[in-house]
Order: sequence, then structure tokens, then C-alpha cells
Amino acid sequence: MRDDGRKWDAPPEYSQPLTGAGVRAARVWPQRQVLISAPDVLARIEAAGWPGVVRGDSYALSLRRDRVLEVDGPPRDEGWDGRQAVTEVTDAYAVIQIEGPQALALCRRGTELSLSHPSRSVARQMFGLPVFLYRWQTEDRFRLHTPRGYGQALWQTLAAHMRQMRP
Amino acid sequence: MSGTRTETGGLIDRTKTLRFRFDGRGYAGHPGDTLASALLANGVRVLGRSFKYHRPRGVWGGWFDDPNAILDVGLDGNAIPNCQATTTPLLDGMESRAVNAWPSAARDVKGGLDLLHRWLGAGFYYKTFIWPDWHLFEPTIRRMAGLGAVDGKTIPDYVADQIHDSCDLLVVGGGAAGLAAARAAAEAGQDVVLVEDHADLGGGLYRRGGEVEGRSPADWLAEQRAAIETAGGCILSSTTAFGVYDHGLVGLATDRGFARAPRLTRMRARRTLMATGALDRPLTFADNDRPGVMSLQAAAEYLGRYGVLVGRRIVVLSNNSAGQSAVAALRAAGAEVVEADPADGPIRALGGARLNGVQVGDRQLACDSLLVSGGLTPVVHLWRHAGGKLDWSETANAFLPGAAPEGMAAIGAANGTFNLQAALEEARAVALGKPPAPSASSYTIRPLWPEPGAKGRQWIDFQHDVTLKDIELAARENYVSVEHLKRYTTLGMAADQGKTSNMAGLAAMAAIQGRPIPEVGTTTFRPPFVPVPLELYHGARRGQLLNPLKRLALEPQHRQAGAALGEYGGWLRPGWYGGKPARDAIRDEVQMARSSAGIFDGSPLGKIEVMGPDAAAFVDFVYYNTVATLKPGHIRYGFMLTESGAVYDDGVIARLGSEHFVISCSSSHVDGVETMLESWRQDGNDPDRIFVHDATQHWATLAVTGPKAREILGALVLDLNLSRDVFPHMSFRETIFAGTPLRIARVSFTGDVSFELSLRTAKAADLWAALTMAGAEHGAGPIGIEALSVLRAEKGFIIIGKDTDGETMPHDLGFGGPRQKKKTAFVGDRGLHSEAANAPDRRQLVGLSVPEGSPALPTGAHLVTGDKPRSEGIVTSSYISPTLDRPIALALLARGAARHGEVLRVWHMGQVRAATVTPPCALDPKGARLDA
Amino acid sequence: MQLFPCPFCGARDEREFHFMGEAGKTRPDTQQPVSDADWAAYLYDQRNDKGRVREVWMHLPCREVFGMQRDSVTMQVLGTTAFRKAGA
Repeated sequence: MRDDGRKWDAPPEYSQPLTGAGVRAARVWPQRQVLISAPDVLARIEAAGWPGVVRGDSYALSLRRDRVLEVDGPPRDEGWDGRQAVTEVTDAYAVIQIEGPQALALCRRGTELSLSHPSRSVARQMFGLPVFLYRWQTEDRFRLHTPRGYGQALWQTLAAHMRQMRP
Repeated sequence: MSGTRTETGGLIDRTKTLRFRFDGRGYAGHPGDTLASALLANGVRVLGRSFKYHRPRGVWGGWFDDPNAILDVGLDGNAIPNCQATTTPLLDGMESRAVNAWPSAARDVKGGLDLLHRWLGAGFYYKTFIWPDWHLFEPTIRRMAGLGAVDGKTIPDYVADQIHDSCDLLVVGGGAAGLAAARAAAEAGQDVVLVEDHADLGGGLYRRGGEVEGRSPADWLAEQRAAIETAGGCILSSTTAFGVYDHGLVGLATDRGFARAPRLTRMRARRTLMATGALDRPLTFADNDRPGVMSLQAAAEYLGRYGVLVGRRIVVLSNNSAGQSAVAALRAAGAEVVEADPADGPIRALGGARLNGVQVGDRQLACDSLLVSGGLTPVVHLWRHAGGKLDWSETANAFLPGAAPEGMAAIGAANGTFNLQAALEEARAVALGKPPAPSASSYTIRPLWPEPGAKGRQWIDFQHDVTLKDIELAARENYVSVEHLKRYTTLGMAADQGKTSNMAGLAAMAAIQGRPIPEVGTTTFRPPFVPVPLELYHGARRGQLLNPLKRLALEPQHRQAGAALGEYGGWLRPGWYGGKPARDAIRDEVQMARSSAGIFDGSPLGKIEVMGPDAAAFVDFVYYNTVATLKPGHIRYGFMLTESGAVYDDGVIARLGSEHFVISCSSSHVDGVETMLESWRQDGNDPDRIFVHDATQHWATLAVTGPKAREILGALVLDLNLSRDVFPHMSFRETIFAGTPLRIARVSFTGDVSFELSLRTAKAADLWAALTMAGAEHGAGPIGIEALSVLRAEKGFIIIGKDTDGETMPHDLGFGGPRQKKKTAFVGDRGLHSEAANAPDRRQLVGLSVPEGSPALPTGAHLVTGDKPRSEGIVTSSYISPTLDRPIALALLARGAARHGEVLRVWHMGQVRAATVTPPCALDPKGARLDA
Repeated sequence: MQLFPCPFCGARDEREFHFMGEAGKTRPDTQQPVSDADWAAYLYDQRNDKGRVREVWMHLPCREVFGMQRDSVTMQVLGTTAFRKAGA
């Protein structure tokens, strides 16, 4: 029974991006994130793995052999509809976008990662935190979704690593 | 004073001068120097003192193999203790000081300890300081022991960079063999990384001198570097491969300059070539530790790499052919060199701290430097990290790489191929996966190992003062295993980790026991190969990032309300509010919640959805309680068990639809419950008919609890009838708040009317503002976890893990029904009928009351009865109840349910108090408040 | 640091994996009488083999439960078995 509030930084504003040598990170706020699970979901919904580049404003990420995360897709009824299970999780994941020529190098601070080692799932651990990692729109722009409660930890971790990315 | 700088040669930049200090005196060196090479060039001989006897120590080795010259180094206000002088690049303005010596290495006041050496042999402290009590001596000995001094200051931003990388081929060592291999592989299209621990490539070429494949070493090196880089290979200099780990992972530490933490590269290499070269080992003879006695190969290194001639009048003692080029180079640089045969008789260094000669048999030779070479020892540490075998070679008189570990090969001197041309051919073949062509070795050596019983003090481990006599003593006392020998004598535990001493030590043990050297074996090689700072391993994971807590969306609001924040189950949560002392704040919050209402942020509570055609059967299986009969819109309290029948979690489950459930497990168990559900789903059930979605963090959950809860909710203008007949306890409604879906559960952890409101986290601040504003009208406000813990304890409600332990079963908590009645299979069912589960003396949940005027019982106190005190249970929760104005407590007590009314003794830290066993619920046992 | 192959995701850092137990154990049918000895064997008996072992692991990021054959001495991964066909 102690007050440890001073040991933990107050939540950041996220209004200013993090900048480092050749890399920039900013919070982004998708309109909608929805979990869709079904045995055949990967056959029905085109979903990105690693290191494919996600194009388009509405897209799906392959999480498991029977689950995708749909980002900015249409509104969907939640629950089991006889074919798939749907749950809205828009606020369950904080999303950070990293871009720049050193963006991949920053990601490689957090996990073994290579463009030549594909993976069917975007789910992995980075910096010790659970994330979904994929490339978005361009080859050197990455998005990281992490459980919302860890958003601040991931943000601070990225900042700490960016400070060390000097020769 | 004997070392001098040569006019030409080496990699140093003579046009620039760097000023530095050592033990209070000023010196000058050049870019390219190490602290050791600069001090040698200035004629400084004594760079340190040994650990135990404080004997003067000079430089033995040329790189990481030096055990003697350990310095505390400062620059620009930053101090780093225990720097190896031989590997620390010289910088302008460095202030250095020998460790373990005062006022200086040259005139150390503790030098007199050496006179006591007769009484300070191996293990002396085990034998000497037993009586009357080791602890009497310990402080003094601790003060005398230890090396560098820590200034207590932290260096700002001393954070290691860490990166993961991968390659086809990692070549460790940028000497001739490594470069040839890297080039061959890179030109064959492999993705190659070569690491070299010096700033410059070349390795042993600086010792050897002469041409390489018809070119000068500098030209040859430049050509290899260019070819490797052109072919797409990567060269990392100032980078040490310090350890080999599982599945081809190699730890690389890159020096980023003085007082900056290194960079850690976790390199995943498909294949690793070990081109780490070989070290010169010392000869063991009387007074072989004197400053001025140096490795012959190191002397060649100082000359070739740093342009330092270590002496003018040199005697060379060598039992092998490797030093011939070194002797020639030293002579060419102007030294007078006499070669003596170490086999000619007993050897003794002469002149004490100021070496002036050597006695070899009957011969006395005057000299200022004695360069010795006991034979080349391949650097096989990484090989052994990876599990490779070593074979003893009689011809090389050394352990050479034997059976290779997966994905690894050794080349060049590290493989015992000491001849340059043979090493190059071997390297190129192995790089391409071909077997190397066999070649006749030109290296010759005559075995020359320590001789047991030899006269004089003969050093094996220079820094830790382990002599041949210490090893003989250890053998007499039966510490004959090399691992025991090491720990008893501290042989090989010096800063160089046995790089100079292990071979001589185990050879001495072999000779003492009359066993062959390979039978004695080596000690275990473990990473790191060279010392690395601990910061290398944790990198940015420190402070708040070492073990980050999950953060609430409403943390700004809680801070605004003066919350005391603490860790509760992996989340940073408000313990209490208002900036008051904890005790007062908690009491006030409890009284507010009981008289009006408390508003509690319960967002971390689990919201795990279970859906699909088999969802109902599945939740019935994972719950102790029967869930399949739950009707949509309703909620049930229940337990999840382990297979042994112990309570794992408690919580409520709501049924949203026939094939849709939400499990609200306890906040700290969300990940565990979700993993357990997923493992049962995929193991033993049909995973195509059950789906588990963890939506916990999408939802913020605010609970309003207290007699005014209904009025406060009424102010939110929800399209919902809150009356108790329409919205009864343990039911569930969905509505809309501020345009957003709102889920309301009528559950209670306080015994008062309670509503748990959940909505998407993005809207949590709106709901918080609305509730606190509406609450203020009724004198209600936020309550923290501590107040909630008191409120629930007043009702006898448990917290799993606090009021239960790993043996507690539901029938110990008064929930025996499903154990007797549930017909379908469920997790833990058979465990609930084990002999232990049926034991008559199980510990059961009870309450405790204390006599009028007594303080609260200590949590964790033991409950005892009878003359022979034996713990029959423990106090699990204890508070002063603000509502009842008296102490309350919960406890687990053997046969407790049948002992209400019994008076027990409560024992804690020698204090004994009295308490009466009561039912767990101390407040409103009939539950009238719940439906008020 | 070991690399384990998840049948769905491919090779990943060992820290992403959770050991669930030795392979080959089946939960006794608790609707029928189960002896104390059989239940204790199910709960507690482990082969703890030195060398080749068959184990059940979970890949936490994708929650794949799968079988893995390893060598507990050399740490070599000898192969994996997917338990599921969905998404194949």
C-alpha cells in the first residue's frame, strides 16, 4: 500500500511524433478494429501477413489460422452469426505508425525480423510486448498494434531505442 | 624504463599527440594506442598489483589475454572502473589509475603483504578465519578485496543499443584466415558478416610481419576489405563475439567509445566460422610474474601494431617455432635479442620488481625484458559455448577443435593451422563448405609444462596469485577435478578468465597426478568471452520499461483526482484518492460507499467473449458451476479450477445470447484465463465450433456501488428501467450512453446495490465525468482498490490468491454444490474427489472477530490451539471495518466451517492474541442492502 | 535463444512460446470412474526424457497449440505437428 505514482510517467499527449535519425513514429487512430473468427476466415477474407504491404484504407490482418483483424472495415453485427464470430475491439489496441529509411532497423531492435522470413501471422512479440506488425501503404512504413494498456510502454520503448540509434 | 616508441611502423598516427595521466603522472601517446601501448612506449613497467599479495604487475599480453593491467579510467567526468589497459583505446585527457594499489602501482603500501605469502596459500581464508567467527573478519577482508573503485555516479544515457540481425555466414575474427573466408563466401553469393574486435583488421599479421601472398600486409588487407564489401559482405570492427547460444545465435558487442554503452547485436547465423586465432601461453618458472616478463607474441604485437619496442636488451625463452618472425622483427627494430633454451635448466627471473636478468640453468643473462612463449593455444571459447568438442593434439601440444557443433567450423590458428598459407587455403575451402586440403604443419613445439616440486614461487594465475605450490596444495587436499581446483584456488577466475592460466594450471594438475593432460580436461567455457557491461543485456529495458505496467485510459482523471497509484495485478491503478494519508482516505471512501456510493474504475476486469455453436457446452466444461442453464441476459458467479481441483479464478459470466458468453475473470488473470480457455478449446474440444475473443481492453468498466447507486445512474438519462423488479441483481442489460453502446451488469462485490457499466474505452472519460458529476450531488465520489478490498472483506467476499492458496477448493469456500451435483464433466472434477479433497481437516474460509478494543490482526498470522502450538490456519485478510467500527478478518482454518464460535490463539512473530471464529460475512448477512 | 517453428507462423523466438506439457496424455473420461492412480498419473507423471522428446507447445501470439519433437540435450528441433487443418 504505497503511492508509486511518481515512479511512472503520466500518460503522454501523443500529439508530437517521435523523431530519430531516419525514423519517425506517431500514434494513429483507426476508426474501427474488428476481430473475425471462423474456420474458413482466411479463405474468405484476404488478410495480410508479414512482410506483405497492406494497400487500401480498409484491410484485414491475418492473426491466426482462424482469425483476422479487420481495420476500418464496414460495421458488423457482433457475436456468432452461424458462420463467424465477430467482436469489435477498436479501443483494445493502440496503433503506432513508424516510417522512414530506418523504420525497419527500429523494428529490428525489438525482435528477430527479416523481410526474407515471411510469416502468415502479423502477431508477434516485440520489445517484450504483444504486437501486430505489418507494412502499410509503402515499403518503409510500419504499423504496430499493441494492447491499449501497453501503448504507453511501447511509445516510451520506441523513444528510448531511437535515442540509441546513432553510429 | 625500457619501452620506447619506434620511429616508424604500426597503425598509430604519430602526427597527433594525446595527453593522458596514469597514477597521477602525465604521459603522451598517439591515436591508435591503447592505454597499455602508450604506457609501454613511455617506459612505464608497473601497471598494477596482484589481487592477493599485491605483487607488482606489468603487461603480459597484447589484447584481451592480459590479466595484469586493470585500470580505473576517467574522462570528461565519467569514470569506468576495471578497464583492461591492453584493450582500452587511448583518448586525449584520460585519467587512469591502477586498481588495487595505493598510492600507485609502483609504490603500493600493501606490497608488504607479499611477505606473508607463506600463510596466504590456496584456501587460506577457509582455514584461517574460522575461529571465533568468520563474520568478525569479513568486513576487513571485503575492504581489502576487490579491484576497481566505483565513484557512485551514473553516466547519463549509458544505454546499450540492441539490434537483431541474421546472416548466412558469420566470420569471427578479422585476421588473415577470417578475411580470406569472408571474401570467398561473399564472392560465392553468401550473405556474410565478419566481426573483428580490434578497430583495425589484420589480427596476427601485425605480429608476424613479412608479406602475405606476395603483398605487404597493408595492401593485402585493403584488397580483402574492398573485395568483401564489393561482394556485399559486411565488416563490423571493434566488435567482439562474446558468446554462442542456441540455434546459431551469436552475441556481438560493438564498442561505441569510452563511457558509452556498447551495441548488442543478436546475430542469427546459419553458419559461424571461428577464426579467432591463438594465444601465446606463459612458461612457468620462478618469479615469472615480474614486470618485464612478457609474452613474446605480445611484444611482437606491440611492435607491429603500436610501434612500441618493449625493451632494448631482450632474452627470449621459447619452446616453439612460432616466435621466429617476432625475434627477427625485434632485432630489426634495434633490440639486442638473446635466445635461450628453456629446457636448459631451472629458470628464474632476476632483479625483483626491476627485472635485470634471467638465470637459465647455470647461465645468467642480463636483460631488461624477458619474452617468453610456452606455445600457441587456439582460442576455442566460442566452440565450447556451442557444444563443440576439443581434441588434444600431441604435435601441437594444445587442445584443438574436434567434433564440430551444429553450424560451426574453425579455421586458421583457432583450428591449429598456424602456417599462414595453409590457413588461407583452409579458410577458403571451409567458407565454401569444402573439406580443407590436408597440409603439413611447419609449427613445432617441445612440451614444457610446470614441474611439480620445482623451487621458487612459480605463478600460474598472475592476477589471482595462484602459484604452482597452490595447485600442489589443492591436489594434496584432494581438489583434483579441474572444476574443484578452479574454485578452491581461484585459478582462472581473474579478469582474463583463465586465458593465460588455465592451460598451465591443468597441465600442473596432470603432472602432479601423473595423468595425461586430456584426461584432466578443461573447465567449462561460458559466455561472455570478454567482460561486457550488464547494460548490454538489458538495453533500453530499464526503469519503467523493465517490467512495464498496463495503463488505464482514465489515468489522467485519476491523477487529477489525487489518486495514489500502485501496481495491482499488472496494472497501475488508484489505491485511494484525495492526497490524504492512506488510512484516512480509505476509511473515508468506505464510509462514502456505504452511505452514498463509490465510483470505481474496474476497467481491467476481464471481458473475454466465448462464441460459437459449442460455446455453452464449452463454458460449462471450463467452469466449476453449471453455466449451460444460464439464460440470456443473466449473470452467474462461479469458479474456474485447475485439473487438481484448486480454485484458479473466480468471476462472473454473462450470457448475451444462446451462443455468446462474456467471461469477466479477475483483472490480474485475464491473460491466464484466456490462455487456459484457448488450450482447452484446441485440446479436447472442437476449435471450429468455439471462438474466444479477448475484448478486455476495448471496454472501460466503471462500477457504481452503494445505496445511492440507482439515483446516480438515473441522472445519466439512459433508456433503461433501473428498478429492482425489472433489473434485478445478477442480470445484464445493453443500452446506449452518449451515442455509444453501454453494457450494464448488476453484480456486487460490496454487498450494496451495484452497477458495472462498460463502454468503449474512447468514451470512458465522458462516462467518468457524468458519473462523478452525478455522484457529487449525492456525496458520492471515486473509490480506490484499497477501499474496495475493505468493502468486500466486510461481506466475506474473497480475493483469489489472497484468501485462497494453491490447495483451496470451492467446497472450502462454501461452494460445495456443483461438486456434489453437477452431472457433466468439467475441469478439475475428478480432482475434487481425491483423498486430499475429502480430508476432514481441510482449511476452510472463516471470519475472525477480536475482543472489544483490540487492534486489527496481522495478516499472515497463524491460528493455533492446544498446548502444542501447531498452525491450523492463517489470517488472509484483515482490516478495521469503518462500517462496523471494529477489526474484521478472513482466515483459512482447518475444519473452520464447523468451528464458528470457537476461541483461538493468533500467533504472530512471538505475539499471541485471541480471536473468535465467525462466519466470513460480517456485514448484512441476510443481504438486505443488496436489494435496497 | 532458440527458434521454434510455429506450424502457422514459421520460425519465431522461443520467448513467444509456452510449454504446455509432454505429448501423449489424454484426459481420462471423468464421466466414468477414474482411479486415484490413473488421475494422479494424468496430473503428475512425467517422462522427463533425456534426448528426444515429444511435447505440446502454444505459440502465444497466434495461440496455435501444436506438437513439437526436440532433443532436450542438443536443443535441436526435430519437427512439429500441426493439430489443426483450418486455414491451411
